Amino acid sequence: MASTFAAVFEIVSFGAIIVLVVLGLGIIASMMGIFNFAQGEFVLLGAYVTYLAYAHGAPVWAGMVAAPFVVGAIGFVLEALIIRRFYAAPIVAMLGTYALGLIIRESVRGLIGGFYLTVPEPIGGSIDLGSVHISAWRFTIIVITLVVMGGCYLLLARTSFGLRVRATLENPALARASGISTPLIYGATFAFGAALAGLAGALIVPVFSLFADLGIRFLIQGFVAVMVGGVGSFIGPVAGAGVIGTLSAALPWVMSPVVADVLVFVLAIAFIKFRPQGLIAGKGV
Amino acid sequence: MGGAEQAVARIGEEPDVVTGEGLPAARAPAGQASAGWKVLPIVEGLVLLIALVLPWVLQDYLTVFATRVVILALFALSFDLVWGYAGIMSFGQALFFGAAGYGVALLARDLNVTSILLILPAGTLIGLTASLLLGGFLLLGRYPSSVIFVSLGTLTGSYAADRLARGWYYLGGQNGIPSIPPLTLGSYEFEEGPVYYYMVLGILVVVYLLCRFLVRSQFGLALAGLRENEQRIAFFGYKAQHLKAIIFAVGGTIAGLAGSLYAFHEGFVWPNMLGVVFSTQVVLYVLFGGSGTLIGAVIGTVIIEGVSFWLSDNYRDVWPIILGVLLLLVIMFRPLGLVSFVLGERERVGSFGKAPKPKETGNAAP
Repeated sequence: MASTFAAVFEIVSFGAIIVLVVLGLGIIASMMGIFNFAQGEFVLLGAYVTYLAYAHGAPVWAGMVAAPFVVGAIGFVLEALIIRRFYAAPIVAMLGTYALGLIIRESVRGLIGGFYLTVPEPIGGSIDLGSVHISAWRFTIIVITLVVMGGCYLLLARTSFGLRVRATLENPALARASGISTPLIYGATFAFGAALAGLAGALIVPVFSLFADLGIRFLIQGFVAVMVGGVGSFIGPVAGAGVIGTLSAALPWVMSPVVADVLVFVLAIAFIKFRPQGLIAGKGV
Repeated sequence: MGGAEQAVARIGEEPDVVTGEGLPAARAPAGQASAGWKVLPIVEGLVLLIALVLPWVLQDYLTVFATRVVILALFALSFDLVWGYAGIMSFGQALFFGAAGYGVALLARDLNVTSILLILPAGTLIGLTASLLLGGFLLLGRYPSSVIFVSLGTLTGSYAADRLARGWYYLGGQNGIPSIPPLTLGSYEFEEGPVYYYMVLGILVVVYLLCRFLVRSQFGLALAGLRENEQRIAFFGYKAQHLKAIIFAVGGTIAGLAGSLYAFHEGFVWPNMLGVVFSTQVVLYVLFGGSGTLIGAVIGTVIIEGVSFWLSDNYRDVWPIILGVLLLLVIMFRPLGLVSFVLGERERVGSFGKAPKPKETGNAAP
């Protein structure tokens, strides 16, 4: 019983991490039609900012709070300078963001060297539930993921900013005619997606430690999750991330990790092939 | 000779960019010579010439490096066919490269097969089979697949293969398969060096010519249409998905050939050969050199590998960053790659099949 519970917690906590990473990717893919290959590097940047704060003596939580803002600001600048040119051609956007990611990743690699740097958990220790001990920090990640998910949903579904974003997504020309500044909206959306990635990076760095290839690990999983969930809505990628995250954490319990890893990808691609619109079809929130 | 000189002068002005074949009058001053004086064959000839004399001027260890570059150029050619000519973004081209490499490495390790007459066909066949399977799955079907799906599908395939190779003990895990014996022909052993170099260069030239014939054939014309406007090609009655699957398989075949040569040249295979590292590397080569021109793929490979070799001693850490910046600049400002500095759009697209209009007008004029 206890071990089952521990396994379920493990699976849920990994699923939460994937959801957190995919949120930003999904928002940029759905709302802007861009598959951002630099998203993994935004995660890396978030982790790096947290590490920097910690290395300079600031408390870890302060770095975590700062990370989304710093990465969001970087995302905003990059959108204005570079990403903006790629909207017309999705494949070129992939290549351009890939190049961008390469630059960021290798710069960070140059800054931290080839090391694995650890950052302590701001909330250490474990929560005891009878005979089961679960990591307090991973539990916190689950809670924060839920809060962020809810917050994003409310932002897109209930606020006037969300309305503008959705209007820009559905019909840019009409949105412009209605007085919405679509370039600004695109910039803000991209910055928001980047900030979410930064937050994800900041939160997971105590779990995975900081190394230059931190982001790549999640990038392909994230893309697959977005495709499985369905591009075009907010809820689709989140659902996809839930499925992929749960599967990739659950399957290694019943088969060899290597087979499980590959199987998840094969299943996901086969699923997308036969249901291209994804789990949840349709635009909007 | 006057005609030829005029033609050279005309090339300086790049008139071919604007003169379509439907305007014979504009071509008339250059006369017959104009058909023979294009930039592309000159560039190709120069590259071939440099490649031929290279082992004479390079030291031995540099010849070994040059051999690697030639093999990678073959690999780049395979990606260029798929992306530059058919517009299929294959982000997992290394899957076929690496699968063939692993396949022939296993042949050599477990069955002691090292004869070039068996290894190259085997590698080619592995590439063909793998790309037929993956391409058939991703591209064919009731509904046409989106570009994004194909690119992410190939990327995922390559990534999954990488993971599989890393975790599978039979394939050597993280370390791959070391110490592959040299390629043989009868009792002769192909050691690294000038012989291997010329052998690989010969293969590259043959494959290049075959590709050039292919993309300038009627099939190539259909492909170009596919890249520019898939819907219209479909309305013409072409089965767009089938065309894509065919060219994808051709690309995979060439990648397989390159992979088997690479495995025997390096003497070992390792998971990166299958994975995202090589897959994206080849994208860099082609984008940098110029996609949609076969020679662009070769030039891109030579420049990137050459500069990276040159810089790796002193600037190992900075080089990937510079590479990223250069790539970004090329994508933003020179989407047709470096080759587009010397090659006009008219020549890049080329003329198709047997329609030597300029020559006919030349004959008709006197």
